[in-house]
Amino acid sequence: MRTLHDDEQFEFELLADLAGVDTGSEMWVVYHLWSPRSPDWLRIIAAGLSRDDPRVPSVTFIWKGAEWAEREAYDMFGIVFEGNRDLRRIYMPPDYTSFPLRKDFLLPDDAARSPGEGVRHVEQAFAPAEQLGARPVLRQGKLGPPAAGAAEQLAPGKEKPA
Amino acid sequence: MTSDRGQVRSLDDPNIWVETPATIFDAVPPYPPRTEREAEFYHLRDGEMLINIGPQHPATHGVLRVVLKVDGERVVDLDPVLGYLHRGVEKICENGDWHHAISNCDPLEYVASMFSEAMPVLSAEKLLDLQVPRRAEYIRVLCWELNRIASHGLFMGWLALDLGGLTPLLYGFIERDTIVEMLAALTGQRLLFNYLRIGGVNRDLNHDFLSRLGDWMSRAAVELEQESRLLNENEIFVRRTTGMGRLDRDTALRLCVTGPNLRATGVPYDVRRAHPYSVYPELDFDIPTREEGDSYARYLLRIDEVRESIRIIDQVLHEMPDGPIMAKIPRLIRIPPGRAFISIESPRGQYSCYAMSDGSDQPFRLRIHDPSYFTLQAVGALMPGNLIADTMAVMASLDPVMGGIDK
Repeated sequence: MRTLHDDEQFEFELLADLAGVDTGSEMWVVYHLWSPRSPDWLRIIAAGLSRDDPRVPSVTFIWKGAEWAEREAYDMFGIVFEGNRDLRRIYMPPDYTSFPLRKDFLLPDDAARSPGEGVRHVEQAFAPAEQLGARPVLRQGKLGPPAAGAAEQLAPGKEKPA
Repeated sequence: MTSDRGQVRSLDDPNIWVETPATIFDAVPPYPPRTEREAEFYHLRDGEMLINIGPQHPATHGVLRVVLKVDGERVVDLDPVLGYLHRGVEKICENGDWHHAISNCDPLEYVASMFSEAMPVLSAEKLLDLQVPRRAEYIRVLCWELNRIASHGLFMGWLALDLGGLTPLLYGFIERDTIVEMLAALTGQRLLFNYLRIGGVNRDLNHDFLSRLGDWMSRAAVELEQESRLLNENEIFVRRTTGMGRLDRDTALRLCVTGPNLRATGVPYDVRRAHPYSVYPELDFDIPTREEGDSYARYLLRIDEVRESIRIIDQVLHEMPDGPIMAKIPRLIRIPPGRAFISIESPRGQYSCYAMSDGSDQPFRLRIHDPSYFTLQAVGALMPGNLIADTMAVMASLDPVMGGIDK
């Protein structure tokens, strides 16, 4: 990354995007870089991070602007960026324990498909598999979304009153 | 400054006085610092104090809370606290299908929502490798540029308002209202259009829209000159913006700032030219840049951009082809598996989206990159040394929109 940014051959000056991804089996961090010398963006994928303890080195020492992007990825996926000086939650409240964009964070009801029902919020603790004793059905490949009510069965007693 | 708890009358019985509850709006958080930076920020040196602004403050352009660390009248440091408008749009998009994502992405950038609703549309088209009819592309460009003008018109007004002038805001709103009504005649909505579709647009141009547009185009350039004369040489305005919030080229790039804020520092990076999309390669327009990088340069640059947008609209109207407005696609689309990164130039900078599909009718991941998010981050680097009264003015000159920041 340092070479890509500093070397005159590349000059990737701008971090166009930094995204966290949960593929269901592993975590990714996807970077898109822009250079005035290149006609297209450069996509770098840090793949194969473990879901239990995803860690990647921070790029904030090159692009200071990555700080908030990394905070967002941490907040939403629990990816820890080593070297980021300000890695705290950015959207969710500080006492929140879940990582909402992970695939095992299930919405009990699909808001978009049945708007009348609304979303009943179920807060799941980090690493729910161990705590709940059952592996939630993750959406992987051609699997459809989890059926309505699946989360209640998986997490008895975890539901907050609506 | 930590808390100002006193006695208030109980809501149930006005004769009873109760202790006010601790609120989340205390400047100092009620927990120990979690990071190095937080510990540094909330450690006060001699003569420093914390001031909380927001989250419901009319000057913060949405529901933003900022904790300022001040020494007298000077800002030493600041810590924006986000999340008051967080809706989890990305998660909702993953749980609805691609068509739902269009209307879910709409309220992200609520000042110019034609840009944010393009995100799922363009990424789905890229994943499908779909050729959009030329007429639809021209209509899209027309809507985008109109929306850009509406957004910049509002920007001018807000900037003046944050500096204490009310009149330009009213003029800005007249301009914006004309365009918004025009787009309402086309799309049926004033703000959240939900107009773009995967493969084209929702409705064809109609007579009402075109007559309003022709009427406005005949006087747009003149009115722009008139409005900019209100501020361009206004002595108070010029003095309060020149040299304020100066951003240089390297800092802007390191902070990932894009759009007019980056071009005001001299970098001619515009996605419409750097990574052309839609029919922009066929159109003739310039990318204005400025070297100064201060609030005044950012303001002047946006006026130049409005001029270029009017030029583009003129060309689009002359070259508008006939033909269908939708590609032939099935109503229920299954997007082939793949990954796509698309990017467009919104009034606030590079609006991009990284989409992943797993072959179903729902997005597997829809990461939306909003330029305002990075712009707001840059405020933290610009503020130290300024007066409190200039904080909001510099922020207004950077033009962030909270809807996109909080997603």
